[in-house]
Amino acid sequence: MSPLGSGPGSGPGQAPGSGSGTCLRRNDDRVVPMSPSRLPARPGEVIDRERPLTFTWNGGAVTGFAGDTIASALAASGCTVFSRSMKYHRPRGILTADFWDPNTLVQVGDEPNVRGGHRLLEAGMAVSAQNAWPSLRWDAKALTALGGRALSAGFYYKTFMRPRWLWPAYEKVLARFAPGGVIDPASAPRRHDKRYAHPDVVVAGGGPAGLAAAVAAAREGAGVLLVEHEHSLGGHLRWGTKSERSMAAALAGAAEAAGVEILTDATVAGRWEDNWLAVVERDGAGGPERLIKARAKVLVVAAGLIERPYVFAGNDRPGVMLSGGARRLLNLWSVRPGSRAVVWSANAAGDAAAADLEAAGVVVEHVDARTGRTVTAAEGRRGALERVVLSDGTRLEVDLLVTAAGWTAPTSLLNMAGVRPRYDPAAARFFPAEPGTAEAGTVLSTGGISGDGSLDELVGHGEATGRLAAARAATLAHRLRVATAWAAPVDGPEPPEVPDERTPLGRDPHPELYRSSTDGIVDLSEDVGSRDLRHAAAEGFDSVELVKRWTTATMGSAQGKLETVNTVAVLAEATGSTISEVGTTTWRPPFAPVTLGALAGRMFEPLRISSLHDLHVAAGMTPIQAGQWIRPEHYGDPAAEVCNVRANVGIIDVSPLGKLDIRGPDATDLLSLLYVNKWRRLAIGAVRYGVMCAEDGVILDDGVTGRLGEEHYLMSTTSSGSGAMEVWIQNWLQTEHPDWRVRVTPVTDAYTSINVAGPRSRVLLGRLVDDVDLGPEAFKYMQVRRGTVAGVAGCVMWRIGFTGELSYELHVPAGYGPHVWQALLAAGADLGVAPFGLEAQRIMRLEKGHFIVGQDTDALTKAPTAGLEWLIKLDKEDFCGRPELQWALEGEPGDAPDAVPRLVAVQPTDPSYVPPEVCQIVAATPDGKERIIGRITSSRFSPTLERSICLAQVEAVHAGPDTELTIVDITGRRHTATVMLHHAHFDPEGERLRA
Amino acid sequence: MVQVPRSNPRRRPRRGRYPARYSAAALLRRGKAPWPPIWRSTELRDTYDIVVVGGGVHGLATAYYLASNWGITNVAVLDKGYLGGGGSGRNTAIVRSNYLTPDGVAFYDRSVRLYERLAVDLNLNVMFSRRGHLTLAHSDGALRTMRWRAEVNKHQGVDSEVIGPAEIKRLVPALDVSEAPRHPILGALHHPPGGIIRHDAVVWGYARAAAALGVEMHQNTEVLDIDVAGGSGPDGKGPGGQVTGVRTSRGEVSAPVVVNCTAGWASLIAAMAGLRLPISTHPLQAAVTEPVKMFLPAVVVSGSLHVYVSQTDRGELVFGAAVDPLATYDTGGSLAFAEELAGHVLQLMPGLGRMRLLRQWSGLCDMTPDYSPIIGATDVAGFFCDVGWGTYGFKAAPVAGEQLAACIASGETPDLIEPFALNRFAEGRLVGEKGAAAVGH
Repeated sequence: MSPLGSGPGSGPGQAPGSGSGTCLRRNDDRVVPMSPSRLPARPGEVIDRERPLTFTWNGGAVTGFAGDTIASALAASGCTVFSRSMKYHRPRGILTADFWDPNTLVQVGDEPNVRGGHRLLEAGMAVSAQNAWPSLRWDAKALTALGGRALSAGFYYKTFMRPRWLWPAYEKVLARFAPGGVIDPASAPRRHDKRYAHPDVVVAGGGPAGLAAAVAAAREGAGVLLVEHEHSLGGHLRWGTKSERSMAAALAGAAEAAGVEILTDATVAGRWEDNWLAVVERDGAGGPERLIKARAKVLVVAAGLIERPYVFAGNDRPGVMLSGGARRLLNLWSVRPGSRAVVWSANAAGDAAAADLEAAGVVVEHVDARTGRTVTAAEGRRGALERVVLSDGTRLEVDLLVTAAGWTAPTSLLNMAGVRPRYDPAAARFFPAEPGTAEAGTVLSTGGISGDGSLDELVGHGEATGRLAAARAATLAHRLRVATAWAAPVDGPEPPEVPDERTPLGRDPHPELYRSSTDGIVDLSEDVGSRDLRHAAAEGFDSVELVKRWTTATMGSAQGKLETVNTVAVLAEATGSTISEVGTTTWRPPFAPVTLGALAGRMFEPLRISSLHDLHVAAGMTPIQAGQWIRPEHYGDPAAEVCNVRANVGIIDVSPLGKLDIRGPDATDLLSLLYVNKWRRLAIGAVRYGVMCAEDGVILDDGVTGRLGEEHYLMSTTSSGSGAMEVWIQNWLQTEHPDWRVRVTPVTDAYTSINVAGPRSRVLLGRLVDDVDLGPEAFKYMQVRRGTVAGVAGCVMWRIGFTGELSYELHVPAGYGPHVWQALLAAGADLGVAPFGLEAQRIMRLEKGHFIVGQDTDALTKAPTAGLEWLIKLDKEDFCGRPELQWALEGEPGDAPDAVPRLVAVQPTDPSYVPPEVCQIVAATPDGKERIIGRITSSRFSPTLERSICLAQVEAVHAGPDTELTIVDITGRRHTATVMLHHAHFDPEGERLRA
Repeated sequence: MVQVPRSNPRRRPRRGRYPARYSAAALLRRGKAPWPPIWRSTELRDTYDIVVVGGGVHGLATAYYLASNWGITNVAVLDKGYLGGGGSGRNTAIVRSNYLTPDGVAFYDRSVRLYERLAVDLNLNVMFSRRGHLTLAHSDGALRTMRWRAEVNKHQGVDSEVIGPAEIKRLVPALDVSEAPRHPILGALHHPPGGIIRHDAVVWGYARAAAALGVEMHQNTEVLDIDVAGGSGPDGKGPGGQVTGVRTSRGEVSAPVVVNCTAGWASLIAAMAGLRLPISTHPLQAAVTEPVKMFLPAVVVSGSLHVYVSQTDRGELVFGAAVDPLATYDTGGSLAFAEELAGHVLQLMPGLGRMRLLRQWSGLCDMTPDYSPIIGATDVAGFFCDVGWGTYGFKAAPVAGEQLAACIASGETPDLIEPFALNRFAEGRLVGEKGAAAVGH
C-alpha cells in the first residue's frame, strides 16, 4: 500500500486560482512566496545564512543567501514555475537545477538567457521570467487551445501559404513566439580581456576522476590547468554523502597543494587541431567573461555524466525533476523540492535521492525502475503536480516526481578530436569509441564519460590518466624543444614512449529507459514531443539530422545534452531500428555558450598615422580615413593646392605608400615573376614602373621599384594594397620558390615618405641636399639616388611623377620625418612651398590620366583594359598571370567579345558638369532600350583645365577617340561626353615631369 | 545521343498529386493523426532518363522543374547523405538580387521572384521573410562600389539605393552609426526585396513537390564513378564522350543524362566524367546565437568587416563570414573565426556583448576564378553541371534549377545562363561578381 494513499484530496494539490505554490500570477507577475521550503541548516550546504541577499523577481522582492543560485533562491522562496514553454506556453519548473536546466533561463537586468540554475545570486539583481506572459496573451491561449490538434512540429511549414499577402502578418505573430530574453542594443559594452596559456595538461572537469588526474599529472611535474564547469570542485561528490564530500575536499586540497591552476565556473568550450582550446572563464571577481586560448600538450576530458530526462505524459510539469536536480536543491541549498514524492529510480543516484528526501522529511514512494515499473503520467493543474500514474495503474498523490532514468556522456570535446561516440545498449549510453587514441594519445578521457566504478576506481583511473597525460606531455615538450634547438640547447634524450596501461573502467548495466508507453516532451527548450518525432519519421524524415531540422529537437539552449539520446531513441523506436543505427547528430563547438564580448575581446586593429601627423593637425588638415591610415585630405582648399603645385612647389605626405626592401641574389627573379614587365636590365640607380596581375590576369597592384644595388631593390606598392601585397609575395616565395635566396622586408613604417612636386621642386631640394647632383642630366626622370636631406643621411630619392610635375619622392628614416618636412617648408618659403593633401593629388593624377588600382580598375580588369599592352612583355620568362594575358593579347580577334571594357579619358560636353563616380554609361539597343556599356570610374573638376574631367571604363567598340557617350546621372538625367585620345587630360607628352 | 523525352514547356507548371495537400484547414482536420510521407521511398532502379547527383536545393530544384515544366519524371536524385545535408543546410539563407553585373542582376532577380511565390508553387511554407538587405560601407571605396551596384540595379529595375547613416539608423536602430567605431558606417546599399528564408524548408518543398510528380529521391547513395563512352581521355571519358550511367554505393544505374549538383564536391564528381573544373573548394563558417526577442529587422552585411547577420523568426542571430582562405574539405571550423566574427559584430552593434554564441559550423563552397557559377552542358554529352556557386548557391537555386531543366530538356541554353557556361574560362569571358560576392550575402 502506498504511504501516500490514492484518494482525491489527500495530496497537497492546490485549489484552482489560488496561485499557491506558483510565483506567476494571473494579473501581476510578482512573486508570492506561499510555502517557503528552505530547511534549517544542513551539513554540506553551500549557502551562507549569515549573508542574506535581496533581489527582485518580476518586480517583487525576494531574499536568498550568498551561495544560492537564482533558481535555488527562488525555489526556497516557494517559486515552482520559472518560465513558459516556447510553443505551447506551458508552465515549467526546475528540472536539473544546474547549468543545463532548460526551464530556468531568466532575464537578469539587460542580460538575456541567464542560466538561473547556475548563476550565483547577487544582491540587487533584477530577475524576470522570459517568455512568461506573452504580451499577446490571447494569442497564446488561442494557439494553445489549438495546440493539441494542429500545433505539431513543423506545422508552420504546412500553413500560411495563402493568401500570399497575409504571410507578413502571420510572420509577425510567429516572431512573437520566438523564445529568449531581451537584448538592449544600447547597453554599454564591457571590456573583455583574453589570455594565452600553454599548459602541459588541461583537465576538463573537476569531479573525482578529473581532480585525481590533475593531481597525478602535477605531481609528475606537468603544468596543469583544471577547468571546472561548476562553482566549486568535486563534481557529483558535492551533493553526496559526508564521506563523499570530504573526499572532494581532500582532492581539491591536493590539487591546490600540487600547484594545479584551478578555474571554476569555467568551461572548455572547444577543441581544435593540436589541442588548441578555447577555455571560457565566466563573469566573476576577475571581471567580465574571459577567453583563455590554451595550447595544451595533452587534453584530459573528464566531463562526467549528464542525467537524462525520461519521456512520459506530463514529464514537463513543474514538480517533475531529475534525481540530480532534487539532490542538488536539497543538499547544496537546503531547499526541500516537495513534501510528498515519488522517486522512480533505475540506478544508485536515484536511490540516493530517495534516501536524501526521506531524511529531509519528505514522504517518499520509491519505485524501482529496474523491476519494470515505469511512470506513465504526471498529472495536475495550473502548473502544479498532483498525481503520478505508474504503468501498473497505481495513482499516487504527490507534489514531486523524481526520475533517475540514466545518463548521457557529454562527449563533445572528444568528438571535436575525431572520436566517435558508440552506443552500448547494456549500459544504456554512448561511450567514446576508442578512448585514448585520438591524435596519437594527446586526448584522453577518464571518469564517467569513460565508464563506471566505485569512487576508488574512478580516482584510480583518473590518477593513471593523469600520469599518462604528464608522460605524454613530457615527450611532446621534448620534441618541441628539439624542433627549436637553434634557440636553446636540448638536454637529455627523449623520454621513452609511455604505453596506455590503464585498467579500463567497467560499465554498470543499466536498463534502457527513454520513453514510457505514453508520449511526452523530448526537448523541453524547443517544446518538441515524442509524438512530433514519431510523426516526423512517418512523414519521411527518417534520419536524425532530418528530424532535428524538421522538429528543431536538440537545437535549444542545451544543444542536445539533455535531449539528443532521447530523440535518437524515439526515432529508433519509430523507424524500427536501433539506437546504434540511428546514431547521434554532430556535436559542434562551443560546449557551452560563450558571449560575443568574450570572443571578441579587445580589437587588435591599429589606427595608423605617419610621423608627420601632428604637423598636419597643426596645419589644419581635414582628415580622411584611408584603410588603416588617417591622412590629410586637404588643408582647406584642394583646388588652390593643385594650382600651387602646378605653379610653384608642394609637398605631400605619402608615408602609407607600401614599401618593401628586397635583397638577395635572386631578387631580380622575384621581380620578374611578380611584374608583367622586364626587370633584368634595370640599371643600378634606375626606377621602373611595374604592374602586378593575379593568375587570372586581373590587375592587383602597381608601383615603382628602384634598384639600389646589385642585389638590392626598394619596391613601392599602393597604399591600400601594401598589406595584401606583402602576403601575396610571401605566398609566392614560401610556397612556390622556397629555394630562392631573397629576403623581403616591409619597411613602410621605417620611412616617412614625402613627395616634393612642382616646377620649383628641384630648386627647393637643392637647398637641402649637398651630396647628390640634382641636375637634369645627372638625376634624370625615373632614377633613384641615395643621399642626405637636411642633414639626414640614408634618404632614398626617387625622381618620379604621379602628379605630372617635376617631382622627387623622398623616403626619410621615419624618426627624422618631421625634421625634413619642416626643413622643406622653411627652405622653400620664398618659393611658395605649401603642403597638399590627398584630394589635390587625386585631382592631379586624374589630370594626368593615371589610374588608381581598385577605383579605375575592378576585380575583372585585366591589364589590357587599362591600356597596359605596352608594358606586358611576353618575350620574357614565365610570370604571374602570363597565360591569361597572353590570351588577351594574342587571342584570335573573334574570340574577344566586344564587351571587353577599355579604360578611357572622358570629358563631359558641359565643362561645368562633373558626373558622380560610378555613373553608368549607356547605349541604345536595336529594340529601343538602353544597355549599360560602361561607367565613370573617376571624375573631378580640374582647376588646371577649368573643366570637368573623367576616367571611364567602356566597351571596346565605344572606346575610340571622339566617340560620343551618354552618361546617366544618379537622378536619371542624361549627359553627353566625349572619349579623349589620351588618358592624360593635361600635358599628355609629359614634358613637365621630364623637365 | 541524349535520349531525353522533349516537350515544350507547358503554359502552366504541372502540379503534383500530393498524398496530402498542406493547408490550415487540413492541419485542423487531421488533428493529431500523422501525415503521410513527404516523399515516397522507393527502390533504386537500374535505369533512369536523368540522374541528378546531389540532393541539395540545386539538385532537387532541377529535378522539380524537369518534372513540372517539361514533364520529365523518370528522374532519380542521388545523395551520399541525407537531403539538404550540404550547403543547403549550412548556408545563412539570405536571398537578394543586388548584384554588380547586368548578367548577375538579371539572374538573381529571377531567383528572388521565384522565391517569393515558392511557398504557393510547392504547397509548403518556405517562410520567405522579405525584410530588406543592407550592405554597409565603411570606406570611400566601399561606398563607391555601393553606388555602382545601385546604379546597375536601378537600370535593371531592381530596387536598390544608397542611403546615409541617419536612414540606416532608422531602419536598424541597433547599428552604431556614430563616428566612434574604428571603421565608422558611412552609408549602405539598401535593397528592400532582400530577405531570409527557411533553407531546409526549400529543400523539403522541392523534394516533396518533385516526388509528387514522380521523381525519386535516394539518400545514402554515393556516386562512386560515372560511366562515359567515346571520350578523348583515359577510359573513354572526357570531352567528346557520352555519359551512359553512374556507379553508386548501391549498384550501377544507367542514364543518358547525369547532372552534377554537388557544390563543394563538384570537381571530384566532374573528374569522374573526365572533366576538369576550375573550381577549388573552401570552407565557409557560420554561427548562431541563443535567441532573443526580435530587434534586428533587416539583413545586415559588412563587406569590409567580413560579416553578415540576420535574426531568424526564432530569434537567433545567424552570422556568416567570408570563405576561409585555404582550400580544404575540412569542416572543423576554427576559433579564430568565432573571435573575429564576434569582434566585427560588436563593431557594428556594440550593445550585443552579452549575447551568446550557441553553435558554429562550416559548409563547403565551390569557388570559381570569377565567383560566378558553371551551369549548363559540357563537352561530355549528357553531362550537365550546376556548380561553382561559391558563397551564394542558395540564393540562386530556383532560377538555376528552372534554367538548367530548360537547358537539359530543350537542348538549348537559355539566355539567362548563357554567360555562365564552362567554356567561358577557355574563351576569356569571365563574369565579374567579386565586388558583389566578396562577402556579399
